[in-house]
Amino acid sequence: MTRAAIPIQNGLIRTLCRMCDTRCSIAVRIKNGYMVDILPAGGNPVNNGRMCPRAGAALDMFYHPDRVLKPLKKQPDGSWLPIDREQALDEIAARIEAIKRRFGARALGVWKGEAVGFWQQEEYARRFIQACGSPNYFSNDSACFNGRYLGHYLVTGFWNPFPDFTHAKLIMLFGTNPPVCHPPFMADFADAKARGASLVVVDPRLNPIACHADIFAQPIPGTDGALAWGLIRIIIQRCAYNIEFVEKYTVGFDRIAAYAQRFTPEYVESQTGIYADVLVAMAELIINNRPDVGLYMGAGLEHNENGVNNIRALVILSCLCGALDLACGLAWPEPMPRRRLSPTRMLSGGIGSKRFPVLHEISRECHSMTAMDNMLGRDDPPLKAIIMTGANPAVTHPNLEKTKKALAALDLLVVNDLFVTPTAQLAHYVLPAASFLERSEIHVNTRFQRVYLTTQIAKIPGVETDYCMWRDLACRLGFGDAWFPWTEERAVNRYILAPSGITINQLQRHPEGICYQPQRFQKFLTQPLPTPSGKVELASAYLKQLGLDEIPQYRPPYHLRRSRADYPFLLTTGARKTLFYHSRHQNIARFRKVHPRAEVEIHPDDAARLGIVQGQSVRIVSEVGALVVDAKIVHRAELRPGVIEMYHGWQDWPINQVTLDYINDPISGFPLLKAVPVRIETAWE
Amino acid sequence: MKAVLVDIARCMGCYNCERVCFFQHESRLAEPLSRIFVHVDMDRRRIFAATCLQCETAWCMRACPVQALTRDPVTQAVVVDSARCVGCGMCVLACPFGYMQLAPQPRRAVKCDLCGGSPKCVDACMAGALFVGDLNQLAEIKRRRAIPHIGVRAVLRPEDS
Repeated sequence: MTRAAIPIQNGLIRTLCRMCDTRCSIAVRIKNGYMVDILPAGGNPVNNGRMCPRAGAALDMFYHPDRVLKPLKKQPDGSWLPIDREQALDEIAARIEAIKRRFGARALGVWKGEAVGFWQQEEYARRFIQACGSPNYFSNDSACFNGRYLGHYLVTGFWNPFPDFTHAKLIMLFGTNPPVCHPPFMADFADAKARGASLVVVDPRLNPIACHADIFAQPIPGTDGALAWGLIRIIIQRCAYNIEFVEKYTVGFDRIAAYAQRFTPEYVESQTGIYADVLVAMAELIINNRPDVGLYMGAGLEHNENGVNNIRALVILSCLCGALDLACGLAWPEPMPRRRLSPTRMLSGGIGSKRFPVLHEISRECHSMTAMDNMLGRDDPPLKAIIMTGANPAVTHPNLEKTKKALAALDLLVVNDLFVTPTAQLAHYVLPAASFLERSEIHVNTRFQRVYLTTQIAKIPGVETDYCMWRDLACRLGFGDAWFPWTEERAVNRYILAPSGITINQLQRHPEGICYQPQRFQKFLTQPLPTPSGKVELASAYLKQLGLDEIPQYRPPYHLRRSRADYPFLLTTGARKTLFYHSRHQNIARFRKVHPRAEVEIHPDDAARLGIVQGQSVRIVSEVGALVVDAKIVHRAELRPGVIEMYHGWQDWPINQVTLDYINDPISGFPLLKAVPVRIETAWE
Repeated sequence: MKAVLVDIARCMGCYNCERVCFFQHESRLAEPLSRIFVHVDMDRRRIFAATCLQCETAWCMRACPVQALTRDPVTQAVVVDSARCVGCGMCVLACPFGYMQLAPQPRRAVKCDLCGGSPKCVDACMAGALFVGDLNQLAEIKRRRAIPHIGVRAVLRPEDS
């Protein structure tokens, strides 16, 4: 057994959990050189000495028999040959050079996922591809997160982290299920409820959190924009906004006031399916509790072809409530003074930059769905080689048949990961990645203005960090000294941290994190917002100049515009599971006992009409593909009739076989994952 | 008597307590079996969660014909001696709350044992709804929560009466 922990002495070592993005403080118990248990650790306001069951499974992941411990090379017969790391990197570098010579640097790309690290990992990948001379940086963010980032950024110039819900008088949750996706929020909600806060939950799926809601509204998927505009209309009509704020700190109010007129409660009801009087009651809750409104959006909104606009409209609603830069509202995070590793400007003309210029310019990302055509040789420039780290698009990317075909068409696919994922199965080389227990990196949490240094607790011989992978490849490609001059990740950490005045030693002494800057509020009163106009952009001149919607207009979703009799159901994907994290953790045996098989959730009336019984196999068919999966008939309140729901990360039942990659949000380029027109078949060939 | 108690107003129905309990005690079983119970009633939109109260006069203990149930001298929890338990189910019949169960193969009684003093479910309750304490502590939490509302709801709504 080579996988021992580094320290020989017994005891507890603190670090941050990276089994999901929340990053709670944990302590790893070491006994006789092995990590034997994981306990929650105190002192960190993120988790306050508690942890969820995922954290406890980090050791199952670390000691998992299927972990990749040596580089693997695909043989002509499809089998894997373990090879030396040096040989693997030599061969990969040689193939990159050859592709670059033949097709140019733009035939190269990198793709970052979430399985290994976080900010630092992303920065390495960005740095590497820039050094290669290519703009082609792809990531999982193109199908999760960027939509919300852009929606906020285009209105206020900053990305809203998480509101301090504890002090909100009204909490509004849109398309999110925090007890499952952000477990620490639960304590905040409970505290806020105890102080008498009201709760509004808007979601096509009824989750247990809605048991605490004053109003639970179940919109037709993709219509949140109409709801937001309906609320904006009532607030403007009743003059329930701060006129001075609007005059001094916003641009475009007249435009939105005029546009909002058409969103009468009756029209909103016709679009969203939410009763007109419920809309009015919701608006009254806002009016009575403003400005202390904590409005939070999850991934539910962004996976629609009008997602960014819907998000923008809700951010505008927050601003009109007066919640801009309040602790409990749209807080403007204090940036951590740190050095970036990635170049501030990526090379221009990346894949998808013409179709989705905002994604390219603001998120500095190429469009992964467009890239599939480049990989398949249907678009210029050809994309021939991709190095992926911790990403699993063969499960999580829309339109899987096309995605897999495209990845298989690459001349070189290198996957750096902990396990041979379905994506790694398509690769030419698989490199063993180091898990979070094997690396020490800087983490920043802007919600609590804290900076942390994680502890490297274990080391597997031959398994190197992401940094070493990029550095060793860069050295072989001739730009190692210029772009990756640090000998190891520890030195990178020092470089990143330098401007903050906080030292590595201090962070080592404070594993619970150090506050880098107390949060200041209402900063927009004294300094301009980081938008082009310096104000809240209710209307965006930037978008107008690109030929996009100046104000966040509502457009009825695809299924309402083009309703088709052969696809009568709406599939919404991605409601989270407590124990999984996207496509991760499915190989943890005890987790599989809790979530043994995939299920598609269906309303009892629909099931009765189609003659479907509990647990029966059904076939979900869309324009692009089909999937056979068990039906789970849910409580009639959980879904609207006509709407079905399925988890998005199942490796063995990948629902992305039926999701659409060609219906995209014009601003973010996001795919349609939350309102896919499908039909359900009970008998098939 | 100390037990894992639930401040039900804080429970958000995430089921994490059930899961870590299963992982801690019964993870070798094919099906999840937990010693703490969460129920979400979608009809009434109510969440309910509870586990063994470690009763001072424990009927399960009294009913056990083979003295497999004893009081742990350190934690004061009622614990099952699996070697003695014959799986007769008398304790399940005796428990007025339904917190005693039988695990299959080998058939034996299972119940909350406070994990030897530091219950995993409490560590895993991110909502802060679970705590180890006695019933009077729970009563105090409830009283404190009621204070802001005293007087406000002096008149019962028709549906409450």
